[in-house]
Amino acid sequence: MVKVNDRMRDIGEFIPAKDDDILICRCEEITKGEIRRAVHDGIFTMEEMRRYLRNGMGLCQGQTCGKLVKNIMAKELKISPLELEPETSRAPMRPIEMEIYAKDGGNV
Amino acid sequence: MKRYDLVIVGAGPAGLSAAIEAAKNGLNVVVYDENSKPGGQLFKQIHKFFGSKEHKAKIRGFKIGEELLEEADKLGVEVVLNAIVLGLHPEKELTIKVEEEVIHVKGDTVIIATGAAENMVTFRGWTLPGVIGAGAAQTMMNLNKVRPGDKVLMLGTGNVGLVVSYQLLQAGCEVVALVDAAPRVGGYGVHAAKVARTGVPFYLSHTIIEAEGKDHVTGVVIGEVDANWNIIPGSEKHFDVDTICMAVGLSPMSQLLKSAGCKIVEDPKKGGVVPEIDELGQTSIPGVYAAGDVSGIEEASSAMIEGRIAGAAASEYLGYITKEELEEKIKVNESALDALRQGMFAPKNRGKLLEKTEEGVDISMNLLKKGYLLEEEVEKYPGVTKQKGVHPVIECTQNIPCNPCQDSCPKGCIMVGKNITSLPVVDTEKQCIGCGMCVASCSGQSIFLVDEEFEEGYASITMPYEFLPLPKVGDKGVALDRSGAKVCEAEVVDVRKAPVFDHTNLLTIKVPVEMSMKARFFKN
Repeated sequence: MVKVNDRMRDIGEFIPAKDDDILICRCEEITKGEIRRAVHDGIFTMEEMRRYLRNGMGLCQGQTCGKLVKNIMAKELKISPLELEPETSRAPMRPIEMEIYAKDGGNV
Repeated sequence: MKRYDLVIVGAGPAGLSAAIEAAKNGLNVVVYDENSKPGGQLFKQIHKFFGSKEHKAKIRGFKIGEELLEEADKLGVEVVLNAIVLGLHPEKELTIKVEEEVIHVKGDTVIIATGAAENMVTFRGWTLPGVIGAGAAQTMMNLNKVRPGDKVLMLGTGNVGLVVSYQLLQAGCEVVALVDAAPRVGGYGVHAAKVARTGVPFYLSHTIIEAEGKDHVTGVVIGEVDANWNIIPGSEKHFDVDTICMAVGLSPMSQLLKSAGCKIVEDPKKGGVVPEIDELGQTSIPGVYAAGDVSGIEEASSAMIEGRIAGAAASEYLGYITKEELEEKIKVNESALDALRQGMFAPKNRGKLLEKTEEGVDISMNLLKKGYLLEEEVEKYPGVTKQKGVHPVIECTQNIPCNPCQDSCPKGCIMVGKNITSLPVVDTEKQCIGCGMCVASCSGQSIFLVDEEFEEGYASITMPYEFLPLPKVGDKGVALDRSGAKVCEAEVVDVRKAPVFDHTNLLTIKVPVEMSMKARFFKN
């Protein structure tokens, strides 16, 4: 975590790659290049990345791309994926229609 | 708000086992599952399980699911399906979407048994229709009776990749290749061998470069990787396929526990983010337990035991059983769990290259690289003997926790012994009667009956056969060797089916006597 929070750390230039156009988060259609570029924009934590690009905020809630995003970020930051804290989990665990969510508490 | 002694999230093997244990102890139990069918992954498992009798060995997974459900039902466990648990809140209150509203329930104890989700790897074209998870392929085939495709490439040679490849073959698909970036087959050798002998090639140290196709998969290109995981130029191979299956590991679905504030650790050996638990499965929140894959990826047999332990722990937490009773239950279950965690594939051996079995026999490197044993390797194992007349040839070469073959032989020809991971030994002093019980009992389909004196110049080979249509006596075809290569002409001389074989039919073919240790599969 220490390394990640060091915003002054030099991670080098963003170097475009051939596979930058590959989709990583399918639900929100975020590409590998967008994630890599975001790291160079100063997004060093998974939580920030999610708010910045909306990756992992779609239908599957990051179940598919969570690990993928983490590995891409770690590689870009030149750290072990284990050093990156996974994104926060919070209710609701699954996407839910507002109409139904609004009926919360009928039996409290 | 409804209140229960125990609320369980997930009606898979761990959740149902926990429910059964707790209900037996008198707890009022409810189980929520977001799926429309209970059983978790169990109902997709059409193969026979490994282990010992206590682990329900040689019973097919879906049967175990049926047994668990029936038992839970008898004990009055309430199982609510299509119920999505949205949150686990303070004071063990849960919010659950049931039908068109969100209900609140409170558990005096809570067991989270949410299982795991499939991992994916990315390559160009990975989002094309036709690229699916191995679990999805199983759901299509075994739950919905839909064939995922005609020509399939499987990425991943762990047990999931191997077992699903075999099931794809059973469903009538052509599996063009099994591919893995690792240098060695990750799953049980016996699972690999039963796929390899049907003619499926294995490409270890290979990965997918690209899925081809415009609006769906029409082909795939794989390539060999070097020690730094870079593709070696010129090693590319192309296959025409309509389906690419990925079996590249699982990640625990531990988000509920994390959101509830349970202490969490990230452990790659357990598959990712898991709750910190004690030996009872209890998380850092007293009365909240985790069981099954959510606390670390293993398999269904250990999930069931972990479920039972957590169910017993919750019973003791609420005072339904005494500490002594709990300790007694834990002792029984932990020794069973311990037995499952032994052998070559034990968690402690993950990632290690073992060169010798516990008995000191060389482990077949060909099996690890290509998925099949070489003839000269086979003869070194204690289950392979040369005898006059009909006798079992057990091509079981890795120490895995499994022993149904031992109990299956009415003549006591087969010995595994006290240590459940030991390789089976064939006792040449005992007389084999050729009943074939061992052949059908072997979950790894690694037992054959060989009779080199079947006819002048001909040997008979009896093999386990789980494909349809079943060949008939008199059918002529070819015999394939362990690698799936044609070795000689063969004729079916016997086909045996019996309820006790549980759908593992025994196919006996006649081949020239010099092929008795080569021919291991039959094709019309």
